[in-house]
Amino acid sequence: MNVEQVLFWCAVGFYGLSAFAYVFGFIAENEKLLSGGLATAVLGFAAHLTSIALRWVTSSVTPFITISESLALGTLMAMALFLILQASNRKVRPLGVFVLPVVFVLIGWAGTLRAASGSQLAPALQSGWLWAHIVGATIGFSAVLMAAGLAMMFLLRENRSGGIYDRLPSPADLDRLAYRFVAAGFIMYGLMIVTGALWADQAKGSYWNWDPVEVWSLVSWLIYGIYLHLRITMGWRGRRLAWYALAAVAVMIVSYWGIPFSVETFHKGFRVEH
Amino acid sequence: MVSSPRLAIALLIVVLACCVVGVTVFTPEPAWRLIFNTLWFNGLLVLLALSSGVTFLARTWGRKLTLVSVGMILFHVSFMSLLGGVVFNSLFHFKGVLRLTEGEILPNGDPASYDTVDAGRFFDFTRLRGETTLVKMHRGYKVDGQDKRAAYEIAVGEGSSKTTGIIYMTQNLDYRGVRYLVSKEGYSIGVVLHDKQGRELYAAMVPLQSLQRGENAHLYTTGSALAPGAFPFPPPPDSAALLLQVGYVPDQRKERAGQVEFFTWPVSQAVAGHDGARGAGHASGQAASIGGGKDTEPAASGKVAVGGTFDAGDYKLEAREVRYWVGMTVRRDPGLTVILSSLWAGLAGMTMTFIGRIVQDSKRGKREASSSEPGATAPKGVP
Ligand code: HEM
Repeated sequence: MNVEQVLFWCAVGFYGLSAFAYVFGFIAENEKLLSGGLATAVLGFAAHLTSIALRWVTSSVTPFITISESLALGTLMAMALFLILQASNRKVRPLGVFVLPVVFVLIGWAGTLRAASGSQLAPALQSGWLWAHIVGATIGFSAVLMAAGLAMMFLLRENRSGGIYDRLPSPADLDRLAYRFVAAGFIMYGLMIVTGALWADQAKGSYWNWDPVEVWSLVSWLIYGIYLHLRITMGWRGRRLAWYALAAVAVMIVSYWGIPFSVETFHKGFRVEH
Repeated sequence: MVSSPRLAIALLIVVLACCVVGVTVFTPEPAWRLIFNTLWFNGLLVLLALSSGVTFLARTWGRKLTLVSVGMILFHVSFMSLLGGVVFNSLFHFKGVLRLTEGEILPNGDPASYDTVDAGRFFDFTRLRGETTLVKMHRGYKVDGQDKRAAYEIAVGEGSSKTTGIIYMTQNLDYRGVRYLVSKEGYSIGVVLHDKQGRELYAAMVPLQSLQRGENAHLYTTGSALAPGAFPFPPPPDSAALLLQVGYVPDQRKERAGQVEFFTWPVSQAVAGHDGARGAGHASGQAASIGGGKDTEPAASGKVAVGGTFDAGDYKLEAREVRYWVGMTVRRDPGLTVILSSLWAGLAGMTMTFIGRIVQDSKRGKREASSSEPGATAPKGVP
């Protein structure tokens, strides 16, 4: 095992510990355990970031091509956003109760799929759009993951008070914050779809091919579009919308990593017969 | 009726359901045929655009122009113009695959120049002017140290005013609104037919198929996209001297060098129903015997280096040279500008609304913000 591998598995381990500390810290209403959760999450993030950086430096191919790399990068971005949120608002500490188990499962899954990086980038991927596309996808995913976490906090907080619950933001604040993250995620996911279309146009001459990856992204994007309309046009708030956000993130995860990589699509790179 | 939000939402849900069915129940190809490329599905999209646009405008008409509302308007209008562009494009577009061997010239406006053609109802071939030449195929083409694998040097235009350029994946050539994109490439063998005395009778470039045989192994041969096969040589309208199957084993170190394999049958076998020899099952960059179908043993078979001559009994066959052929995608998409700019406008609209809301929120203060939406019902589940 090389250093990059070791760091990767350290990250998985720290995230596992952190998830455990968060969940039990919350159940036991133990502030120390929650702080321990945050500390191990920071350690996990440091290992995670270093392992991806090392992979990048040593392989000369950008480390977000395979499904395992995509998962590792998506979870890295989610952790970055999570830690920024933690730093900016102490009250949302228990967000880790939702975020860390999800990140732990996703990165653990990435671990089972790890493969050596390729020696060169396929010509179709040598495009500037790739960058904007990946930034949009990873930030978009991270934002809606935070929204789902906030929605879960809303559901826990609603109708409860005292103890740890009093130290959480008010339900109205959680509700509004979740909406903000959905709206931001919707824009970033829109950026991903638009740059994906421009990229396909550049490489294949057709901006939209109705391939499964494209269609699933569109579906999950529209699901968030419906969320915005339920809130803004129909006036939905609170519990119903929170459940919706939780269901929507599940669709998002499946459409991002579940289905697309199991079928032959544009995203597997081009096979130039020769 | 058209401005009913219920209709818009119902349409949106139906479209979503079609999308999910299209990518789960059907594999990609039938989904395209049964759903995504049908008149009813595209009609549904147009209806959705109209209905959502009208509903949105009806609900927001006369509202004060703020960053939030302007962003929203921009977004929904761009959604409509996007679909408008898509429909316009589908009626007037052209997509064809142009296959050329190095040095070959084909007229752009002739449907016969293309292997496959897919064009909109109102597309007119006179829009494709001039001719296209494949000057050279470059293998292992590098740009800023990045390997582009294959690049085609092409010349497009009329008479003396030709535009030349190099295209590769992610780099195409635009000639008066017609785009040229790389697609696939292969080998052509320059075959010359001689009589017994060595007099030249006929010469032609013979394009070879590339048939996948396992990981990174290909068989280069005449035939169909599925199997090796023979063809009358010279091909019609000339009268054939023999049935010919050609294979090529490239030299791993030297470009355009290697071994050429010939298999011949008498022409009479075509009459007896010969449909080309069946292929050998393997090749890994080494010599593979291609011919030798059980029922029809070739009359002659053998292998020569590029440049060499093979004795086929009554005739001699010379493998004069190796060139590349390429299949380029040629496209004309008159709706593209509208489509791509709508995408950007939509993104800009969403961003404006988002920023506008944050500004609004911080101005109004947190307490008011949760009930600030016009038309919003009382927040549910919020104490
Ligand atoms: C089904 C047809 C649609 C209708 C009837 C509709 C209607 C509306 C209306 C009336 C508003 C303004 C709400 C208000 O301020 O009162 C709105 C906002 C918005 N719509 Fe739509 N729309 C439709 C389709 C879409 C689609 C397909 C998308 C993209 C997925 C979309 C994205 C948005 C966004 C981003 C906003 C602003 C949300 C915000 O302020 O955060 N709309 N829509």
